[in-house]
Amino acid sequence: MIFKLFLVKEIKKFPLFFLLLIFTLLLGTLGLTGISVVSEQVKGKLEANARELQTSDLAVSARRDLLPGELEALNTIISPIKHQTYKIVDIYSMVRHEKTSQTRLTEIRSVEQGFPFYGEIVLKAGLFQVDGLYISNDLAEIWEVAVGDDLKIGDKVFRVKGIVTRDSSQGLRGFSLAPRIYLPLKDVETTGLLRPGSTGSYARHFMLPTFLQPDFEKLRDQLLKVLPDSAIKVTLPQESSDQSGRVIGYLTDFMSLAALIGLLLSLVGIFYLYQSNLLARLRDFCLFHLMGLDKKHIILGLILQFSIVFLIVFTLQAFLIVPGYKLIYPILSNSLGIDLSPEVNLKAVFSQLPFLYGLTLAILIPLLLGLMRTSMGLQLKAPKISMGQFRFYDFTPFIILLWAFAAFISHSIKMGSLFFGALLIVFVLSTFLIKLIQWLLKKYVANRGLLSPSIEAGVAIRNIIHSGHKLTLSFLSLTLSATLISLILQLDSLIQKEFTLDESKPSLFIFDIQEDQMQELQNFASQKGVKLEGVTPMIRARLDKVNGKSFARVDEPSNLRTREDEVDARMKNRGINLTYRKDLSPAETLVEGKPFPDEAPQNNRPAFVSMEKRYAQRLGLKIGDHVTFDIQGVEVEGLIRNFREVKWTSFYPNFFVNVEPGFIDEAPKTYLAVLPQGKKEIKRYFQREAVGKFPNISFVDVEELIQKLTSLFDKARKAIGVISWLSLAIGLVILYGLSHDQVYRRYYDLALMKTLGFSPGALRKHLLIEFGFLFLLALGVGFFLGWLMAIIIGREVFKLGWSINWSMILYPGLLLSVLCLVTILFSSWNAVKAKPRELLSDS
Amino acid sequence: MMNIVNVKKSYGQGSSRVEVLKGINLKIESGETLALVGKSGSGKSTLLSLMAGLDQVDSGEIWIQEKCVNKLSEKELTLFRAQNIGIVFQQFHLVSTLTALENVLLPLNILKNPNALDVATKLIDQVGLSHRSHHLPSELSGGESQRVAIARALSTSPAILFADEPSGNLDEETGAKVMDLLFEMVKQTKTTLILVTHDMDLAKKCSRIILLEHGSLA
Ligand SMILES: Nc1ncnc2c1ncn2[C@@H]1O[C@H](COP(=O)(O)OP(=O)(O)OP(=O)(O)O)[C@@H](O)[C@H]1O
Ligand SMILES: [Mg+2]
Repeated sequence: MIFKLFLVKEIKKFPLFFLLLIFTLLLGTLGLTGISVVSEQVKGKLEANARELQTSDLAVSARRDLLPGELEALNTIISPIKHQTYKIVDIYSMVRHEKTSQTRLTEIRSVEQGFPFYGEIVLKAGLFQVDGLYISNDLAEIWEVAVGDDLKIGDKVFRVKGIVTRDSSQGLRGFSLAPRIYLPLKDVETTGLLRPGSTGSYARHFMLPTFLQPDFEKLRDQLLKVLPDSAIKVTLPQESSDQSGRVIGYLTDFMSLAALIGLLLSLVGIFYLYQSNLLARLRDFCLFHLMGLDKKHIILGLILQFSIVFLIVFTLQAFLIVPGYKLIYPILSNSLGIDLSPEVNLKAVFSQLPFLYGLTLAILIPLLLGLMRTSMGLQLKAPKISMGQFRFYDFTPFIILLWAFAAFISHSIKMGSLFFGALLIVFVLSTFLIKLIQWLLKKYVANRGLLSPSIEAGVAIRNIIHSGHKLTLSFLSLTLSATLISLILQLDSLIQKEFTLDESKPSLFIFDIQEDQMQELQNFASQKGVKLEGVTPMIRARLDKVNGKSFARVDEPSNLRTREDEVDARMKNRGINLTYRKDLSPAETLVEGKPFPDEAPQNNRPAFVSMEKRYAQRLGLKIGDHVTFDIQGVEVEGLIRNFREVKWTSFYPNFFVNVEPGFIDEAPKTYLAVLPQGKKEIKRYFQREAVGKFPNISFVDVEELIQKLTSLFDKARKAIGVISWLSLAIGLVILYGLSHDQVYRRYYDLALMKTLGFSPGALRKHLLIEFGFLFLLALGVGFFLGWLMAIIIGREVFKLGWSINWSMILYPGLLLSVLCLVTILFSSWNAVKAKPRELLSDS
Repeated sequence: MMNIVNVKKSYGQGSSRVEVLKGINLKIESGETLALVGKSGSGKSTLLSLMAGLDQVDSGEIWIQEKCVNKLSEKELTLFRAQNIGIVFQQFHLVSTLTALENVLLPLNILKNPNALDVATKLIDQVGLSHRSHHLPSELSGGESQRVAIARALSTSPAILFADEPSGNLDEETGAKVMDLLFEMVKQTKTTLILVTHDMDLAKKCSRIILLEHGSLA
């Protein structure tokens, strides 16, 4: 009975309502589902290929080679087990193309016989073998290198044996900064590049054919125990894939949050749709009630009805996503640099289903409770039907779920809460603003008579003063979408500004300079007419103890819950690079604590340490903490004296940890330096000459790096841009619906004004003034808040100063205003057709 | 002052076509009070809406003060209506976002009457609602709302006042009080009144009663 009533009769009676409901819900959830489908495809691909990505069952790696003792410990555990092994050393080094004498930074992967255990390296022609130099297709294309060309690496010249077109051990090619080169390990050892202190990673890989999954975990624990240095990592394939997927993970987190705003807007729409619809159906409900159906059953029927609608939406979504994905996956594959599968895994569509269902249902709770509070018996006698009011606290479940959902999709309680907080601020601010405007209008304009400033405006102003929470919420939804759009545009222009090459940025970033080469390199530079800047020593170390307690290694199991856990684990396990320098660099500012003292240090006190603030926070360190560094076997005591903020985008040598000079100066070190901005030819010439003379030193072309970063940001920006325009589209649909609804509700008012002498033009004018004023104000507020947030994020994340890009306000603002006004005109155009005759009908 | 010549009106099309008015002829003198009675569905509201210029006739002519109302353009009609016609509805129909006083002011302001505020204040006073003049319609009772509506209808000193069952939504006692007020104000201002009602007692207060039956006047 209830079933038939709510699922057949009702849907037949209100087809438009259900259509609109489905449309709004579909539009609102499409962004989130789309993102989750794509990210699942990428993660799925990486996971499926996890072993190929790592090339082995288990890897023991560090930023340095294993010490003899460690090697022995490793062997005692591994040798009883049936295994095969090889070593991979990844270093960054300069390569010179002899034919064109160009030089560039590459990732040199040195491998041994047997590589790869899993996966394959496919060449343009022939088979990959560990017997010569192979270059990636990227490099071949950039330089037009052909098989048989000579490349100089370190002190030696190699002949290119093949060009790699597919490399299953590379994750997302689209995000790698240097093209890859393969060389046999024994050859690399003769190049002189593997000096202590040079930037590289040393890994021993194992294939254990007789092992099962649980054994691997056990073996890893065993190995971690005998290799206590936290700089040593023991990884299983799963973690390698997680690592490659991290970038895409962050990106989808942010996109999901943007898409959540779209969902939120559509929920606002759904709330109103339901509110008007329930009011229209109330008389029916009262009749059902009279016939013996109690309220609980009516509400149950409504929930059932909604659940069916929800299922329909998700079925539709699956039907839209599959062809949609097929359409865009080649583009995605290309820009991410990963061969995605053309088949969609629909699991992703359903993974968010419970949350989405819960969230949507939660927004209806206040209305259902309102229905519960309606005294249905009285309604049939009353001249005008009215529904029980909902209370503000009825929204509590929705608010809590929203918060949880934000944390869930961003994989971060902190990010989720920040997002939620920002939403709350926008919400509170716009509510406050609209109330303020109503109050001001009431106080200063309403007492001036209807004609001030004109009759249309006078009536419009009174409409604004006396309109209720509906208006507030339509104002809010517009503000929200405007905020989002403005935030993205402004942030984008801030970042773009930051990532352009200007005078303040160096042209070359130079690293891996050996101690004994520093002076020589400087002399060489001045011979060539250039001067090196920012010369900074770099010392490898490990944070051993904090306040006397040893700083334990955190396991990095695959089930870390949030992004913060991940970052913490990585931070703690990583060896750190120190420098010593008394004064701050131009890119640094002291934010807490005192600078290093001027007087020479006395030997009986610990060295003062300056830390980058966020790094210290992640490790849970405070000013005044005692820290113990292990610098290649020597313990050094430190006392944290101050926190710095660093502007990393300066591209100057900057460090997380800076130790007071006079304590670690004697430790083995390498140097970093930069070549300041100048003529391009000079930069090229200097790099070429320097690589010839110092083959082990690496040069990063800052301009190229910036281009690469900009193109990465570009991809992210485009993706997020699509999502935010989708949100705007939803916002406009809501706006249309709300202004339409308002006009419809005021049908009699409008007809009446016509009988009282308002011309159609005047009617339109007063509607335009009313909605136009509010919506343009909402846009203005949204744009302002978005800009403000961009500045705050720019400051907190990128350490940027404030700036404003007017063109990013003016043009989109204009576009949005026009869109808004058109929407309003569109929705209210028919309003003037209200028939005065109908004022005489009874109901 | 008002002359209705062979006015016809029907609704719908084809087989569902209903001929509501089948040729109405009626002459009304200035200052007259006229009650229009008839069964429900007989076409009283339809006739009223045509006379008040709220709807278009199918054929025939409606003359008010030497002007043929159904020949006016939309714009001219709007102005004519605002100047010459006042209407009181069964559902009161006050503009919900304007206060009582502002509702009375609105037609005066639309006509740019220079003494709008004085006129409106006086009228509000006359209907006994000075103490309620700054309240919104939602804060007024039914009787109070209808009094505001009467004040508003009379604010522009129209030649004719139309009222369609003005006490229909009020209880008996309140309805009677409001109707007394209406008659008194019409008498004072010598306005022509055309009143649609079911209530024969009320109809008897008018100077003439006409009965609408089967689409024509009996
Ligand atoms: N817009 C319309 N479309 C179709 N038919 C209509 C329309 N308006 C009125 N009618 C029909 O015209 C007839 C007269 O309606 P009208 O409202 O004039 O009656 P009435 O005499 O005022 O009745 P009541 O006393 O109930 O108010 C009715 O049969 C009604 O159904
Ligand atoms: Mg009627």
